[in-house]
Amino acid sequence: MKKNLKKMAALGLCMAMGTTMLAGCGGSDSGDGGSDGGSSSGGKKTELAFGIWDENQRPAMEQLVEAYEKEHDDVSIEIQLTPYKGGEYWTKLEAAAGGGKAPDVFWLNVLHLDSYVDGGILADMTDAIAESDINDAFPEALVNNYVREGVNYAVPKDFDTNALWFNKEIFDAAGVAYPTDDMTYEDLVKTAEDLKAAGLDDGVYPFACPVDFQTWYYQTVYANGGYILNDDKTETGYDDPKTQEGIQCWIDMIEKELSPGSAALSETSADAMFEGGQLAMNFAGSYMVPEYAGNDAISDKIDCVEIPTFNGVEDNCINGLGYAVFEGSKNKDAAIDFAIWLGSTDAMKLQGETGVVISAREDAQKYFAEANPDYNLAAYTNHADEAYPLPVCMVAAELYDLEATYLQKAYNGEESLADACKELKEEADALLAK
Amino acid sequence: MAESKGNTGTVKKRASKRAKKDWIAAYIFIAPVTLGLLVFYIWPFIQNVWFSFNEVNKFNMTTFVGVQNYVEMIQDKEMWATFGNTLKYVVCTVPVGLFLSICIAALLNSKIKGTSIYRTLYFLPSVTMAAAVAMVWKWIYNEKMGILNSVIRGLGGKGVGWLTDPKIALYMIMIVGLWMTVGYNMIILLAGMQGISKSYYEAAAIDGAGSLQQFFKITIPMLTPTIFFVMITSIISGFQVFDVVYMMIGKTNPAYASTQTVVMLFYRQAFDYGYKGYAAAISILIFAVIMLVTVVQLWGQKKWVNYD
Amino acid sequence: MKSKSNTKKLFIHLALLLGVGITVFPFLWMVLTSFKTVGEAMQIPPTFFPKKFLTEAYTQIITALPFARVYLNTIISTVVTTVIQVLFCSMAAYAFARIEFPFKNAIFVLLLSVLMVPGQIFLIPQYQIIQKLGLLDTIPALFLPNLFSAFGTFLLRQFFMSLPKELEEAALLDGCNRYQIFWKIMLPLTKPGIVSLVIFTAKFAWNDFMWPLIVNTSPKMMTLGPALSTLQGQYTTKYPMQMAGAVMAVIPIIVLFFIFQKQFIEGVAQSGIKG
Repeated sequence: MKKNLKKMAALGLCMAMGTTMLAGCGGSDSGDGGSDGGSSSGGKKTELAFGIWDENQRPAMEQLVEAYEKEHDDVSIEIQLTPYKGGEYWTKLEAAAGGGKAPDVFWLNVLHLDSYVDGGILADMTDAIAESDINDAFPEALVNNYVREGVNYAVPKDFDTNALWFNKEIFDAAGVAYPTDDMTYEDLVKTAEDLKAAGLDDGVYPFACPVDFQTWYYQTVYANGGYILNDDKTETGYDDPKTQEGIQCWIDMIEKELSPGSAALSETSADAMFEGGQLAMNFAGSYMVPEYAGNDAISDKIDCVEIPTFNGVEDNCINGLGYAVFEGSKNKDAAIDFAIWLGSTDAMKLQGETGVVISAREDAQKYFAEANPDYNLAAYTNHADEAYPLPVCMVAAELYDLEATYLQKAYNGEESLADACKELKEEADALLAK
Repeated sequence: MAESKGNTGTVKKRASKRAKKDWIAAYIFIAPVTLGLLVFYIWPFIQNVWFSFNEVNKFNMTTFVGVQNYVEMIQDKEMWATFGNTLKYVVCTVPVGLFLSICIAALLNSKIKGTSIYRTLYFLPSVTMAAAVAMVWKWIYNEKMGILNSVIRGLGGKGVGWLTDPKIALYMIMIVGLWMTVGYNMIILLAGMQGISKSYYEAAAIDGAGSLQQFFKITIPMLTPTIFFVMITSIISGFQVFDVVYMMIGKTNPAYASTQTVVMLFYRQAFDYGYKGYAAAISILIFAVIMLVTVVQLWGQKKWVNYD
Repeated sequence: MKSKSNTKKLFIHLALLLGVGITVFPFLWMVLTSFKTVGEAMQIPPTFFPKKFLTEAYTQIITALPFARVYLNTIISTVVTTVIQVLFCSMAAYAFARIEFPFKNAIFVLLLSVLMVPGQIFLIPQYQIIQKLGLLDTIPALFLPNLFSAFGTFLLRQFFMSLPKELEEAALLDGCNRYQIFWKIMLPLTKPGIVSLVIFTAKFAWNDFMWPLIVNTSPKMMTLGPALSTLQGQYTTKYPMQMAGAVMAVIPIIVLFFIFQKQFIEGVAQSGIKG
């Protein structure tokens, strides 16, 4: 179990194979001619819609579209942005897909993959991906994130991992040494205790432990050999003592008052506290970097290091996005061609250089750290190959909610973790059986 | 409605020719709204009834499952809990809201200076976007940084987790709900009060009735159609309370279970989890309950609502 | 006598001011926060007035959004929705309140039933209708479903019902037809009701959020609600910026209300309802 989840990638097997076979434009041209009914290359452009959700990434996406249109003057692409917050992106995508009008190419995350495959709205990209260099130039695990029953449903776009951020000003004032890349969980607790002992300002905490799976407890659960979902996705692992240890270590920090209580954190997020100068240390996903870097109040006082190891194991969670193509697209061939191009060296470099996300392609990952030289952003990519992907299944959204509801009781001290996990497992297993 | 029966009789006696002309006029008058509502609301609703007997995936593909959704719903503890929360919300906010709006409207209906300023200020909350309202109140209620607790601490008290304590969070949300709606209901009631002919008050003043007496003997009875309207729409919107709770209470909030309303459950099932069939069944239940309450009120109105 | 009524007025003012305090405080807090820095907004204990009034949040918002276009779209959508909805609703409300015709109660209950369904269920079917009409991402898509309102019909019906019947009967005897009665006699008399509906509809259309968000995609066709929400999603921890957005969204409609209420509510109150 653990190995399967853990082995992020036997990466680089074929890295050297390099840049062959960019999916040919000839293929898409002939496709267009067919669907347009003879208006071969004359006048009319193939119009594609491109669905995204992040305003921070809009400029990068616009540059990509521009570059693609320059290479393909018969294609015109329109970007459609819908915010992710509150599920708006998905609500709209689903409504549009139900009516056959979803964007031709759109961002997709692993969380929604299974139900979208089930709904039959994703185009099969297996052949196009096999013809391209994607299988060679991307970490295998990232490509496989979007494979179901041997079919590729998306081109990996980017990935995100976590790092430990700290506020130098608070450390300096307390006279405590900054965190380092080679810290362990015990070191983290010790540092937090030292900060607390040194006396922090009113309302300032050494660290924060919100009920957050991706950035906090899944990392330690997996590093500790625990699991959330078994291989065939029929049973949850909340009753496994190893799973519980990986969660308990954060509850312990709350009990030692090294972190605000979970109720307070549900009101004011750890990110908000960190940006408000009220946390000495915080975990944050790589997607938070643009926000931290853009916040003048803290941007020059902070830096990051790798997530501390747990039981001597590197622990980090990896998640990411892919470019998917709508099965009902009127210009499916052109859309697939564009999606494959988005995975090309040039496109991935363009995306990476904006410094907003970590490009999925191996040779483009380095641009993320290069774009923000002020911070130790290698912390995000150093062990990305060992990071754990999130557990996903058809009912993932519901499972995560259920988990949050029950674990909150344990974090809040209402119930012991063992009791909360017992109830949680019962309900979660029933959910999986549905 | 009940009061129309008497009219039908008299109308018939007068002239059936005019009645026919009236019919045509009436149908012309109601045509735009009726057709528009049929296309954009009633037809979707019928579709929704059909969905409630199906399993519907995220992309509206259906499989017929009979009454399974309803059976599941009745056994769903969470559904009953959210319904309980919703009921609590309605029972608390409707009478309090009505009382406050009538009081403020009555005060504003007196001959004092600055009424238009007052009206605007009272109206302010109801035109503020729900998202902004939720945010600013969350900020005020915040246990650590909120101004409410900092005032209490300043007075020597202890801070309270206004939105995280399961016992009080729902009541704090009710306050926000009232804050948002009282001003608007007040404007409707005020408009109703100002529609009452001055001659009634003049006559009462000649009879020596004081202003309090005038209020209970003239204003309130004459205002009953408007009061009825405000009450019925408050009850309906109370049963549908959604956005403020949605935006103020996160999934990891300890008060989550005690503040979830039934429309939130509907929304989560339909949009977060993609169980549109089950969600449709919940929406039918909400509809049935509101319908029942409304019918009871429409029936009960003849006892106290004064149309003339 | 005079001093007695003055004390009474003083008490009324005091009571009203207390209410105003509670009503206005959160809004005031919103405005004050919008002028603070992120750090100051989160300070413990909070400062009441900003240490320095900074307009940074406002400039950030204006540069982040195509504000003129978004405002214009919102205004068009609000005005069209309000004018047409009020016209349609008042016509129907008059018929339901004052004319006898077959199936009247059945139709009325049918329309009312729309009010009782949680609004969220209409979202996707309405989207599909607009899609079939080929109107996605256009200005008409913003207002089309909102032109028809069960709430408005119900509201105005209550107002029509509270008008004295004698006026209408006299007009009928004078040989006026229904259209004339509606347009010349009844409609002017329901001004308070109409202004209530105008305000309600305008406020709804102005702040509407989920519908425009779903139905229109390009920034050029956005309205204020979704545009600000996009911002909020973007700058989750920048409280001053979010508050600034809310303040900017609320101001136009407040101004509108202030003008409106003077013209209508007071006008009606002074002229008196007895014709």
